Amino acid sequence: MTKDWNALNIDLSSGTVERETLSCEYVRRFIGGRGLGAALIAPYATEGVDPLDGSVPLVLAAGPLTAAGIPSGDRFSLSTISPLTGTVMDTNSGGRLGRSLRRAGSDLMIISGVSADPVVLVVEDDEVRLEGALDLWGCTVSETILRLTERWGKTAGMSVIGPAGENGVRYASIMTERMRAMGRGGAGAVMGSKNLKAMVVIGSGKVPVHDKERLKVVLEESNRWLRAHPVTSKALPALGTPMLVKICTRAGIFPLRNFQSVAVGEDQAYTGEELAKRFTVSSSGCTGCYIQCGRVTEAEGSRGEGPEYESLWALGPDLGIEDLAKIIPAAHRCNELGMDTISAGGTLACAMELAQRDVRPSTVRFGEAGSIMKVLEDIAYRRGEGDEMAEGSLIMARNAGAQEYAMQVKGMELPGYDPRGAQGQGLAYATSNRGGCHLRGGYLIAREILGIPKKVHGTQVLGKGGHVARAQDFGAVADSLSVCRFATFALAPEYWSRMLHAVTGWELGGEDLIRTGERIITLERILNLEMGVGPDSDRLPPRFTNEPLTEGACTGEVVHLDDLLAEYYAHREWPGGIPSENKIKELGLDE
Amino acid sequence: MNKEGESFKRLIEEFSRVGRVLFTGGLNNSHSGNLSVRLGDRVVITRRGAMLGELSADDLVDVGLIEDDSGIALASTEVKVHRAVFAATSHLAIVHTHPRTATALSMGRDFLVPVDDEGRYYFKRIPVLAVRASIGSDDLERELPAMLKDYPIVMVRGHGAFAVGGNLEEGLQITHALEWSCDILLRCLALGMTEEDLMDDRTHGEW
Repeated sequence: MTKDWNALNIDLSSGTVERETLSCEYVRRFIGGRGLGAALIAPYATEGVDPLDGSVPLVLAAGPLTAAGIPSGDRFSLSTISPLTGTVMDTNSGGRLGRSLRRAGSDLMIISGVSADPVVLVVEDDEVRLEGALDLWGCTVSETILRLTERWGKTAGMSVIGPAGENGVRYASIMTERMRAMGRGGAGAVMGSKNLKAMVVIGSGKVPVHDKERLKVVLEESNRWLRAHPVTSKALPALGTPMLVKICTRAGIFPLRNFQSVAVGEDQAYTGEELAKRFTVSSSGCTGCYIQCGRVTEAEGSRGEGPEYESLWALGPDLGIEDLAKIIPAAHRCNELGMDTISAGGTLACAMELAQRDVRPSTVRFGEAGSIMKVLEDIAYRRGEGDEMAEGSLIMARNAGAQEYAMQVKGMELPGYDPRGAQGQGLAYATSNRGGCHLRGGYLIAREILGIPKKVHGTQVLGKGGHVARAQDFGAVADSLSVCRFATFALAPEYWSRMLHAVTGWELGGEDLIRTGERIITLERILNLEMGVGPDSDRLPPRFTNEPLTEGACTGEVVHLDDLLAEYYAHREWPGGIPSENKIKELGLDE
Repeated sequence: MNKEGESFKRLIEEFSRVGRVLFTGGLNNSHSGNLSVRLGDRVVITRRGAMLGELSADDLVDVGLIEDDSGIALASTEVKVHRAVFAATSHLAIVHTHPRTATALSMGRDFLVPVDDEGRYYFKRIPVLAVRASIGSDDLERELPAMLKDYPIVMVRGHGAFAVGGNLEEGLQITHALEWSCDILLRCLALGMTEEDLMDDRTHGEW
């Protein structure tokens, strides 16, 4: 089956919709999802571009496996240029939106322009229209979802923004039904700048499968692995991602107080086990997912999804707060306001350290949970100190003349793994195309801490260049297939290759997929270079390269970034951090 | 490459540990087999004629991935095969062994298909590559990389196994699993069972 892809071109300025066909050959070069998004964003990646002025589109793309009954495979991607980092970015989510879009007969939407008034984009099978959303503007995420659900029913796919997106917070997220987040990079602010409050998609058709019998065989094998792997079958369903708290603490990489130290010992009050025992109401997950890694939690009258490991850390120990009863409502509130928990927490942590050092006054202090909820609100509505915090930690710290205390790369706040004990993760942060991110940089924690597929020592430097490159490439494949990263813990590239062949008929082996991932990563790198984000930005905050850890399992370690980068650039054939002409030609990116 | 640092010591430890297990596990004789890892645009590979059961820093040689340099004079005879695999794939480590049972079974088959549950968990089937001359040969350099794009381990008929992975331990694991599965298959055949009896799941061979 060599099905061409159907795109909806939606111009919010004029309210017009045009249909376009992308050839199967073109799509296959980038797989779909994230890869296709990067290819379609390419014409807009120019120096000085402002993603919030309406000139840059949002590209919402399903993957070729979306809606085909693949385990953990019903995700979709949203690509644009990040208002936080100025880089090309993508973000993705589970939920029904991507599946519904494909069932409605389309594979992607390119949403451009700015609507004069707030609107909801509605796709109902063949019909596409914009509906007024003045009554929804200003609503929180759950209020918006509730009202849309009352009108469209529980089976409709929905993505919405909260007040943070409306007010241009540079790390505003987009939330899908049941509080799944497209969190990092500020896509919610781009959506808000277009006056697009929500997207609702209803599809009643079916997605064709090339070889159903073959798919049955491959799925049987794949499901055996998912059911057998301890992470996907036990740890994540039982504890969710907060299972990592104890593991990262033992490994000496669980950061405290804006990465000033790391947790030591076994008796923390904020572990995944404590969360499960005291606060978890039920598990939850994305549509069609076996793993069900999400949690519904309740504390101090607040009930909602999460916190995930990153949110728990960013709004808890990174701020010196160890009481889960205080952390949980803060995470729920970020979801309600439509705001990335990692960047919100990272910005607060930076403000706290600047205040601790008397560099910049602040209403927030390490260990004082009382003021957090108000400040989160102030950020979302850009009030008082919150207005500056809405710009992110880098701009805030730079304004104070103390950029070194912003724990970020390319302007994106770092997630909860101290790279001094995970050198590969440090390199991954530094080279991530969308900024300091564990997912786009390559989730080296899988190899360095969890031993997936095999343990590679965290403080080892030699060899990490290749590990990071391969993890980034495979990550780009997963994001472009639009499948869950956790499923890739259990299923190697060959499995995805066989699933892809069964669903689409495309002949792409496991290594062909990895090579396509390399094409996507390299394309993103080229787009960043065109926007002025080059090798000079492949750096870490000086804390990680200059200040050795003073406690825990990795005492004495710093990140050996120059050595790591040299090997990484050599592996990728990016001399000096710039893709060589040979590499560009080899990957077919010179066309 | 700096051979003094802590990081290089860890690399030697990994080579040494994996080499020792391969030798004591009977997957190589005293001076056969070779191991390599890719580091950027370099390849670290065992010295020609090295004893895998007794590796030290002097037994590791680094050579360019593409360009020849003096290291090539010391490297394993199979170095060009290793380089070709690294250049064509994203793998980061190669383990080459001479497992006896798998080699024996490779003589009459185009694929080895495990019949034990663990083997079937790891492998659907293992292809057997037949070339006229196999040791350090141009044929192997040309044909092996393409096969290692689709399979984590390939048998070369009458010669041995090439396994790939993210690190040496991964290659060690699948090499051992292959030999174990072949040993079980051989025992089943020796007990009088036929391969047809043992292949109850026909979809397996289609993987």
